Amino acid sequence: MSEAKKMSRNDKLRHDRLTFYKDDIDKIDKLLAEFLRLSGAKSALLIDKEGHLVTKRGEIKTIDIDTISALVAGSFAATKEMARLLGEEEFTAMYHQGERDNIQLGLVGDRTLLTILFDDRTTVGMVRLYANETAKKLADIFKSTMGRQHESPDLGADYGTNAKKSLDKLFD
Amino acid sequence: MVQINFALKEVNCKIVFYGPGMSGKTTNLEIVHEKAPEENKGELTSISTDGDRTLFFDFMPLDLGNVAGMRTKFQLYTVPGQVYYNSTRKLVLQGVDGVIFVADSDAEKMSENIESYQNLIENLQEYGKDIRELPHVIQYNKRDHANAMSVEDMDSQLNKFGVPTFEAVAYRGEGVFPTLKTLAGMVLESIDRMDRGGKRAPAAEPARATQKVGKPAAAPAPRVAAPASTQRPSSPKSAGSNRAAAAPSMATARPSARGKAPVAANPRPAAAPMRTSTAGKPALSQNRRQAQPVARVPARRASGGLALVITLSVLLVGAAAGVVYFFMGSNLS
Ligand SMILES: Nc1nc2c(ncn2[C@@H]2O[C@H](COP(=O)(O)OP(=O)(O)OP(=O)(O)O)[C@@H](O)[C@H]2O)c(=O)[nH]1
Ligand SMILES: [Mg+2]
Repeated sequence: MSEAKKMSRNDKLRHDRLTFYKDDIDKIDKLLAEFLRLSGAKSALLIDKEGHLVTKRGEIKTIDIDTISALVAGSFAATKEMARLLGEEEFTAMYHQGERDNIQLGLVGDRTLLTILFDDRTTVGMVRLYANETAKKLADIFKSTMGRQHESPDLGADYGTNAKKSLDKLFD
Repeated sequence: MVQINFALKEVNCKIVFYGPGMSGKTTNLEIVHEKAPEENKGELTSISTDGDRTLFFDFMPLDLGNVAGMRTKFQLYTVPGQVYYNSTRKLVLQGVDGVIFVADSDAEKMSENIESYQNLIENLQEYGKDIRELPHVIQYNKRDHANAMSVEDMDSQLNKFGVPTFEAVAYRGEGVFPTLKTLAGMVLESIDRMDRGGKRAPAAEPARATQKVGKPAAAPAPRVAAPASTQRPSSPKSAGSNRAAAAPSMATARPSARGKAPVAANPRPAAAPMRTSTAGKPALSQNRRQAQPVARVPARRASGGLALVITLSVLLVGAAAGVVYFFMGSNLS
């Protein structure tokens, strides 16, 4: 391993995680609420590319957000791979039409997916129009938060020891 | 990639079961799902062929509960082991925080183990990751196999980086939790260490001894212990004829490498069935046996009185496209 690579390892580790702070999420939530008002969509979920929920707004009526997030990320990743094979850089949006409900998925920045659920109270055109605007604003928020991720430790000093205890409890 | 979310007060990590086809990755996850306490587990979702070979991934969330004020969750995935599915396998690996490599102890499968491990290294490299910096462990599964290789031999051929290893007979539940516990601990430790400035890379733990099957989770492994049983199970899945044939669509794309007797029942359209088991689903073989492999999400944890149905079908790359439908009912938040 080269020296340069060694030096950057610490930075890389930090880059390898995605941290969301409360005040940023508050800003995001506000944007999403505004988006729902303008577009008439039912709900919006922001999911990271690994399939973890970042935040959600609106009528979310599902029992298993974890599973939905994993499937959304998986199907987006599959679509992206298809795009690559077809020589497209990336399909930045996907649309699934159901009988009553529809889903629009769009990339925000390079790490998160905006997932919008809507029904026939609005149209895909309206949803896309406002989704594009919202995605741009969200991307700006992410850009401005990136620099802050190098600040002081995020988790409490006792996180490690408590984690061990919890593992013992779960797996005993 | 670990997600730390101070608004939701959550830490999310992604753990992937990797390894060659049929080594027992899905079985590991089924055991975790079967045995984990109700309040800690979500549903087990499988995107697989009719023959129960993993097509894209299996997924289940495992909730460790509140750790120092942060709800800590593991998202557990398996990859499809068949060589043919490398494109989807690679996708599942994106953003991984820890890997459990499930090797097949059958001596005849050693070359597949080695090939799969090499494939893991290469796929990680494509994401700019060095396997030596990624928490991972190796599980020697199918210790009950008549033709099982010795642990020492497997170690010398496979365990290039001296990571912790475990013996297992996954379909009997032996060795499954010790493997997961150790890896989960390594992942959490790497998060903690990152947090404190990443002085060391999250390399493998020094432990070399293979933990034997049939031992309680916490017990350190004395090397003398014999495998719980050397006898071969009478039928390692007599109920398993349902996994003999790949889904028709997949069969045309690539016939099952194992050339088992095709199951005539249930010719289906190209869609990949999604299995979703309820939290308290009884027997494994039941999990696998699926007359109607269609999407079905039971209304577990539904807080409102209203019903909810989600239908998802995911048609895959390599042959297909992805489709997701949600139908929503009751109100949660
Ligand atoms: N003899 C024996 N069979 C096992 C053991 N663990 C799993 N099996 C069987 O091995 C077969 C394959 O198991 P799976 O868990 O589906 O394998 P997989 O690794 O998910 O396979 P792919 O999805 O194709 O990559 C099944 O019939 C299991 O019942 C074990 O410890 N011993
Ligand atoms: Mg599998």
